[in-house]
Amino acid sequence: MSTIVEKLRQYSKPGYYDKFDYHWTMTIDLDRCTGCEACVVACQAENNLPIVGEERFAENREIKWIRIERYWEGEYPDIKMGFIPMLCQQCDDAPCETACPVYATYHNQDGLNTQIYNRCIGTRTCAVYCPYEVRYFNWFTYTWDEPLEQQLNPDVTVREKGVMEKCTFCIQRIRIAKDNAKDDNRRRVRDGEVVPACVQSCPTEALVFGNSNDPEAKVSKMMKSPRGYKVLEELHTTPSIVYLTKVQS
Amino acid sequence: MFDHGQPSYADVNKDIISTMLETGPKYWTLLGITVSVAGICFFMPWFYQLIVGVGAAGMNRNAVWGSYLSNFIFWIGLSHSGTLLSAVLHITNSPWRKAIYRSAEAMTLFSLMTAAMFVMVHLGRVWFVHWSFPIPNQMGLWPNFRSPLMFDVMAITTYLTASSIFIYMGSVPDFAAVRDASTGLRRRLYTIFSFGWRGTAREWHTLGWAYTFFAVFVIPLAVSVHSIVSWDFALSAVPGFHHTIFAPYFVTGAIYSGTAGIVTVMYCLRKFLNFERYIGQVHLDSLGKLLITLSLIWTYINILELFSTWYGGTSFELEALSFKLTGFYAPLYWEMLLFCAFVPLLMLFKKIRWSWNKMLVISILINIGMLTERFIIVATSQPRKFLPGAFGYYVPSWIEFSITVGSFAIFATLFLIFIKWVPAISLYEVKETLRPLRRDA
Amino acid sequence: MAAIAGPAINKMSKISRRDLLQFIGAGGVGVAGGILYGEGVQRNVEFLIPQVVPPEDYSPGVATWYNTVCNQCSAGCGISVRIREGKAKKIEGNPVHPVSQGRLCARGQAGLNVLYNPDRIRTPLQNAAQRGSGNYAEISWDEALTTLGSRIGRLKIEGKAGRVRLLTGRTRGHLDELFAQFMGLLGSEHYQQYDFTYPAAIRAANRISFGVDQLPYYDIKHADFLLSFGADYLGTWLSPVHHSLAYGHLRQGRQGRRGKTVQIEPRMSLSGAAADEWIAARPGTEGLLALGIAHALVNAGNYLGSDRDEWSIALEAYSPSTVSAETDVSEESIVRLATEFSAPGTSLAIAGGATAAGTNAVASVVAVNALNYLAGNLGQRGGVIFNSDPAFSATAGSRQAGLRGMLDLVEAMEAGDVEVLLVHDTNPVYALPENVRFRRAMENVPLIVALSSFHDETTAMADFILPTNTYLESWGDDVPDPGVGFPVASISQPVVAKLYDTLAVGDIILLLARRIGGELPIRLHWATMEEFIKERWREEYELRSAAGEDQDFEAFWRASLEAGVWGQPGAATGDESVPSSSSMIASITDPVSKFAGSESDYPFVLHPYLTATFTDGRGANLPWLQELPDPMTSVVYGSWAELNPVTADELGIREGDILEVESPAGSIRVPALIFPAIRPGVIAIPIGQGHSAYGRYASDRGVNPIHIVATQVDDQSGDLAWAATRVRIKRTGERLRIIKTDGVTRTLGRQILGPKNDHA
Repeated sequence: MSTIVEKLRQYSKPGYYDKFDYHWTMTIDLDRCTGCEACVVACQAENNLPIVGEERFAENREIKWIRIERYWEGEYPDIKMGFIPMLCQQCDDAPCETACPVYATYHNQDGLNTQIYNRCIGTRTCAVYCPYEVRYFNWFTYTWDEPLEQQLNPDVTVREKGVMEKCTFCIQRIRIAKDNAKDDNRRRVRDGEVVPACVQSCPTEALVFGNSNDPEAKVSKMMKSPRGYKVLEELHTTPSIVYLTKVQS
Repeated sequence: MFDHGQPSYADVNKDIISTMLETGPKYWTLLGITVSVAGICFFMPWFYQLIVGVGAAGMNRNAVWGSYLSNFIFWIGLSHSGTLLSAVLHITNSPWRKAIYRSAEAMTLFSLMTAAMFVMVHLGRVWFVHWSFPIPNQMGLWPNFRSPLMFDVMAITTYLTASSIFIYMGSVPDFAAVRDASTGLRRRLYTIFSFGWRGTAREWHTLGWAYTFFAVFVIPLAVSVHSIVSWDFALSAVPGFHHTIFAPYFVTGAIYSGTAGIVTVMYCLRKFLNFERYIGQVHLDSLGKLLITLSLIWTYINILELFSTWYGGTSFELEALSFKLTGFYAPLYWEMLLFCAFVPLLMLFKKIRWSWNKMLVISILINIGMLTERFIIVATSQPRKFLPGAFGYYVPSWIEFSITVGSFAIFATLFLIFIKWVPAISLYEVKETLRPLRRDA
Repeated sequence: MAAIAGPAINKMSKISRRDLLQFIGAGGVGVAGGILYGEGVQRNVEFLIPQVVPPEDYSPGVATWYNTVCNQCSAGCGISVRIREGKAKKIEGNPVHPVSQGRLCARGQAGLNVLYNPDRIRTPLQNAAQRGSGNYAEISWDEALTTLGSRIGRLKIEGKAGRVRLLTGRTRGHLDELFAQFMGLLGSEHYQQYDFTYPAAIRAANRISFGVDQLPYYDIKHADFLLSFGADYLGTWLSPVHHSLAYGHLRQGRQGRRGKTVQIEPRMSLSGAAADEWIAARPGTEGLLALGIAHALVNAGNYLGSDRDEWSIALEAYSPSTVSAETDVSEESIVRLATEFSAPGTSLAIAGGATAAGTNAVASVVAVNALNYLAGNLGQRGGVIFNSDPAFSATAGSRQAGLRGMLDLVEAMEAGDVEVLLVHDTNPVYALPENVRFRRAMENVPLIVALSSFHDETTAMADFILPTNTYLESWGDDVPDPGVGFPVASISQPVVAKLYDTLAVGDIILLLARRIGGELPIRLHWATMEEFIKERWREEYELRSAAGEDQDFEAFWRASLEAGVWGQPGAATGDESVPSSSSMIASITDPVSKFAGSESDYPFVLHPYLTATFTDGRGANLPWLQELPDPMTSVVYGSWAELNPVTADELGIREGDILEVESPAGSIRVPALIFPAIRPGVIAIPIGQGHSAYGRYASDRGVNPIHIVATQVDDQSGDLAWAATRVRIKRTGERLRIIKTDGVTRTLGRQILGPKNDHA
């Protein structure tokens, strides 16, 4: 009987409302970001994103887990360009998570919004509900021209047609870091031990990644910047990505 | 009530059952056409899409939902007037319902089935569609009950079940009549279908009671189904979807298009099965009045939607509004308004309401308008969400057009099969409307 | 049968309704109890755990990282390549390398597409039909090398070795030395390099201004005020990754101090987008603007040198008002820039891009150098720091032919003076104006040998194609140019086994030397490039071991291989003596660009620009780069011509209208793109697309603006003035949909770029 009571308690309080060891967070300093798109290629290499071809781009069916959006301000000659990298915001109150009828997307204990390719049946509701439009659907099964497939990262699944995919914060790298921590008998991963591909590549160090549950982490300090804001905050999706606005001179 | 003089009970049986027993070449030709259109326009493109992926359709990053989903809503909507109307009219004791309700209920059933086909076509991996049902499995996985799509699965299956029982129950005495009028294998089959109905007073009493009970039960169900379908959209934050008016809007639209659908079906039954004696001007006139009322409600909700969007005043809402009124799909929007808000006003004139041909045209126009209404809801909102950088548009591919055409053929096929198996007009209820027979008549 | 069944039926019928209800009740209780029990004892069900979260006992494989050098552009970033199961999986910056410091640009990361490109040449090929037809027959290495060896050997014996020419791209390090030795031993002095992106003007200007024949280290990192004349330092200029790192530091790396950047260019580049102020001076007048700023600086008394008056006189003609009229930059702006440039704190002026590609390129860069001199930025932290002598192979860049050298080569080829042309890692048919007629001249050469990993427009003319290893499969070394202020050398090692029947370029040269015979195999005695590199490094090591290296060579070699780089951060920087002011004053000339084509016939200035992805077209065959939206326009897969919206409005041009862009040298057809940050009267076309034979991803896509550039030489550097051509445009009436990923590029008042940036 006691197990049943325990169970009920567990059901009434899903795990991710507890404070767990990690809450992976990223800060993106737009004052450093130059829009060079090194992160875009880094992500493509790390996460086995398909080469979709010209035709698919013409159809607006590209897959880029991280993309740079650009916004002009003013008119010539007083014109400015604002770049903003857009990737899955790993929202704490993610609209996509309630949308999926089969739990193919759910919140994990690290505060990540994970996508389970195996479980996805392709209703695409999550993509409709996502305000950031960072969910990408596999309209086709993509192939690689031989021998480009030799580059594919063995730690990341290759997705098939009919499946939704998106940024995972390089969950495979998080796994490896946790594994190493476990082997070293450390309770937690060290700050800076997990570096997603985009953060790693950023030539201006605009992207910072870490565990915001750790007040000493670099990311926790960056988050406190007075320039910090979250994109589309008014929708109350509580994203895990904090942007630092560009300084206007 | 009857345009061509009152038939006798025997006439009723003969007229209606004969349509089931005698099958001419015209029927077979028609069935052949609908089956092949369904095969060529619906199933073949769908199989092609299954092989290459949903990319065969025109949807893209800017609109991951497309015509499949709008057709799904359309067919769910079309299903509405059948069972719902039948039930409402049954409870309110409207005598004019009796000649039409059977085919109306059948329409419900078949549109629901067609709608379900669109869910299949829509899915990226339809071969796993069973995961959306709460089937126990060794991994202990359940569907996500927070998902409006899950609500949908529940609502639609419940509605489908209830509608099936409703139509079946009402048909039991008629199955008995068919049993009595036929021989051989058919007789044995209908013996089973009719559950040994003998027509005793007790049986009639039970049927009446159960039927009324179901009628009451089905009404909230029907309202809930389309409300829940609307929540698929309204529960998202997408500007253009996120409206509190959506549930009544969808329900009204559904009844509206369903009623127009009934007019179309009535016309066809009358024309092809020679039911002139049973489906008369009274029915047409009443349906016409109902359509005007629904059209006015529908128009009101539309204006309200525009107003509340404008009044909301955020950049998101205003952009969605201007895209709807002036953007890529604006011609479709104005076409919808013309067909669904202005054309139906013609029915204010009795001359039009009483003309079968004119009513047929109007009813078809209304449904074309409603088909585009659903498309506009789906296609104009998604490409104008929150980030301007991701704005775009979506154009359906030929596969989507083909599948849309094919879906009508599926519906027609199901209906054609139906009229050969179930009396398309309720025998016993038509008989109830006849003046009591006098010995000298 | 019936008799037996009878009693049983009778017995059954005795069950009363009460019994039945009891049974049902008991059964129900039993079932409910069972379910509850089952729930109670059930093992805890794990959450669904697919690949995204592998189970606890799943051990991700262990990757090996090899350090080597990136060869995607001339910056020479150190890279680390991740290897799993013998395959390269990912390229990241080498954290200990002083150039990249662990970071890497899009292009560098796309190096895997070079390695695993499906269009790589897999065996030696011999032309089997008419030249340029693309019909090649596969031959063996032995056959190829023997044929070539005997052919070249015969020339050598006949004393006609001078008729053998070697043309490479931007070869540096000991491979460059090997080439030079090979050609020297052969008896030919015709070893040249052609790299479209080589900053010849900067080098020439530095020679003139400072008397230093090198690219100095521009210390953007510590600058407080960065004034860039056309140099897209974040995208394409010299060492983009290093500059990006520096830029990040300039902006947010110092507490309470945020550097300011100003960009002067007619079309907004990545660096222009990042700048606080973007000034579109009239094309070709950037040097003049620099002199105007210098004038204002001196006149405001901010130059404290003793020869202030001489400077005043030298700059007299460039008062802000005169310069303002010429450059279309307001007088106030010029004065303000001068004030800011000489304000306390460090400042730095750099020049590149179109500024360093006019007929006045060197004069313009000299003007910018003068500006740096006047503000006291030379040899200063946050200014221009002169590099010490490179670790080895000081010849970097000195063999760059420039346009003048290439014209000479064309002349020689046309005159029939070239018997054998060896081409490696350069594509002059693509990267020279069509007017140079390089391709046609090649037809006069009896034997063309291409050492290349890919087919391109130049190899298409080759009689023999010797497939080379990519840089990820080769041994080599490199000295970054420009350096980082102290001696650095990087080692390049194969990170994967070679994929095909290919050879490293160095190995081909060594093998060829053996076939040619004579003294070549004796002098070039190394069996492989690896052996050669190691021996050279041993010499370097011994040369420097006196300077305090305390390990033995093998240990040093291993450590260097592991690190991928060797450097002496503590070593003194280069010449710190400030160049003489008088020579600087003397060097200043009027930086006026001469444009090909008259303004009346050709009303627009053509602004070809390098993109961070394709640079001079080399990157176009990499699918990741083709699929990378252009940073400023989000266009993928194709070319476009950028126009100011006002200009487009006046001419009634919409996006996607195909324009005929005609220069005095030729014309191309390219779709128009309305670009809000370009000066009216300028047409910008990205360089890189428009290949006719460069594999499946690049071929027959877009246009190559270099082809319609007029053949004008900048006299002082001898390089092509590719930004000094005027064009006219004509609507063809045809349209083409430009493929881009962006929807609307205005925020529409939405809170996207941050609360303070709420703009409509």
